[in-house]
Amino acid sequence: MRATLAPRRGGLLASRAALGLVIAAYTAYTLGPFLWLATMSVRTTGEISADHYAWPRPFHWEQFRVAWVDSDFATYFWNSTVVVVTAVAAVTLIGAAAAHALARYHFPGNRLIYGILFSSIIFPPQITLISLYQILVDYGLYNSLIGLTLVYVSLQLPLTVYLLEGFFARIPQDLFDAAKMDGYGDLEIFRRIVLPIGMPAIATTLILNFIQLWNEFLFAVVLVTDPDKRTLPIGIRAFMGDHFQDIGMIAAGVMISVVPVIVAYVFFSEKLIRGMTAGAVK
Amino acid sequence: MAVVQLSKICKRYGSAGPVVVDNVDVTVGDGEFMVLLGPSGCGKSTTLRMIAGLETISSGTLSIDGRTVNDVPAKDRDIAMVFQSYALYPHMSVAENLAFGLRRRRTPPAEIERRVGEVARILGLTPYLARKPQALSGGQRQRVALGRAMVREPMVFLFDEPLSNLDAALRVATRNELIKQHHRLAATMIYVTHDQVEAMTMGTRICVMNGGRVAQVGAPLDVYWNPADTFVARFLGSPPMNLFTVPVAGARVGTAAIDAPLLRWSGAALAPLDGREAVLGVRAEDLHLAPEAAGAAPGRIRGRIFAVEPLGAETLVAIETEGGAECTARLPRDTRARVGEVVTLHFRPEAAFLFDPQSQAAIPALPAAGPLRTGAVH
Repeated sequence: MRATLAPRRGGLLASRAALGLVIAAYTAYTLGPFLWLATMSVRTTGEISADHYAWPRPFHWEQFRVAWVDSDFATYFWNSTVVVVTAVAAVTLIGAAAAHALARYHFPGNRLIYGILFSSIIFPPQITLISLYQILVDYGLYNSLIGLTLVYVSLQLPLTVYLLEGFFARIPQDLFDAAKMDGYGDLEIFRRIVLPIGMPAIATTLILNFIQLWNEFLFAVVLVTDPDKRTLPIGIRAFMGDHFQDIGMIAAGVMISVVPVIVAYVFFSEKLIRGMTAGAVK
Repeated sequence: MAVVQLSKICKRYGSAGPVVVDNVDVTVGDGEFMVLLGPSGCGKSTTLRMIAGLETISSGTLSIDGRTVNDVPAKDRDIAMVFQSYALYPHMSVAENLAFGLRRRRTPPAEIERRVGEVARILGLTPYLARKPQALSGGQRQRVALGRAMVREPMVFLFDEPLSNLDAALRVATRNELIKQHHRLAATMIYVTHDQVEAMTMGTRICVMNGGRVAQVGAPLDVYWNPADTFVARFLGSPPMNLFTVPVAGARVGTAAIDAPLLRWSGAALAPLDGREAVLGVRAEDLHLAPEAAGAAPGRIRGRIFAVEPLGAETLVAIETEGGAECTARLPRDTRARVGEVVTLHFRPEAAFLFDPQSQAAIPALPAAGPLRTGAVH
């Protein structure tokens, strides 16, 4: 018995070790640049130029204060927070409602609307930049946070509806019927059944949208010009000149901007993974 | 409680779509346990969903206690339904599942607590009230689904194949539980199933459906012993009733392999069939290897055994006659039968059924023959 089990156990250990090595290598690959950035954020640009990879000595924590106070990062952070949180909330609410309607109600044109939404995912959003610019100018929304928020909502809505529709369509019809028999109307069923059950998928879209919009640069740089309306990615760009780039301050700015993403990910990661693997296992 | 009346109910999907429920006329009495029985696709679940308000009614009238409810939304019909999939809300605990319907009706919290506690006690769910559905076994989930219906104390209970996902032992236990609850609640219940055993054991009456139409409505044993047509005759009974197309000559049917006197039918009933063919039906449990001592000359079927299935309590023997007809006999467990053996099976003439070969409808037997058939129950 032992003779037959021993090779199997050895093989299992070897495969686990190999898997551990692969995971360690991948972690180093992804975490390395982040740690490097973290060290640069507490070093001055002069120190970084002298030795790119040296350990901070001393730690220049004041760079964060300089970025936050002197370089208006507090304003950029607030602008980003207002725009992204509002846009993500709107996208989630509208997207979930639309996805529920498309997944559950068989009305004429259902698949046509779905097809149009799906087709808008295929094309790169950059092709809409000029027309969106013109629309915002026409409606007096150019160079405003409201205009940028609306653009962000329109950018993220199709993918959100697409992802949620797929998840919602898998919720058994019997649950809706049972809720109807229990006396609930359509809106209440959406609020009390669809949203809680769809939370893993909603969390997935929530975090994906948050990360994407938090880092969004192109539309923000084109549609917002006032310094006091800048979002974080544009604020970081302010440290980049034509001939000189303040690498240390850029790193500090990036670290500031990364914090909310990490917090959001930690908060929603479990649901994110559950949403991404939904349907993969029975 | 309530009387549910279906008058000429039809369901058609789309203006040119197929008719899936066709002119259903059934009245379910107050406190009755009506079973809608039929094969998959016969329209029984659609009928139930129309009663529930989950499907629109294309034509006809549905009334509950005399009030027409065709256009009343499901939530306002005061009907509870137990689903085949249980349909428990996965994000809620057992207690929340039970209370969900009551909360909507603004029942006072103390009353909700009392009713949930009582139903949980009756169904043995008290230890599981804090659990989520995924932490329950199939049987426990089924009881929660039943409890969710019971706690609301509705006018009508609907069941859509609620035992289909349970294993055999649990199915029997839950079946008995449902029968017990029906007696306790004395509620009007409509139960959909394709399982004839469930229908026979649970139903006050059975409504057999075929192709969207009602084939027969009646008490379980009445339907079993007086089937309206060959469909009902074969659908109720396991193994299904044996049917043979045989020529009629006077008051006898017969070929070289199958022969029987037709004692249950009057001359007037048999006259139109004389010289023509009819469908003779004999249930598997009415066939015997040896002729019965008493009574008239027995009917007989001669053929070669091609399958023997010893089931422990009984033995099923399948034979093929010279004409190629197949039939199954349910014989005693100690029957010694071998495949390939030629045997003659006998049956009492009173146990025979006769059907019209064209319409497949039963040829009405003499009234006196009706009650004696119930005596044939083993």
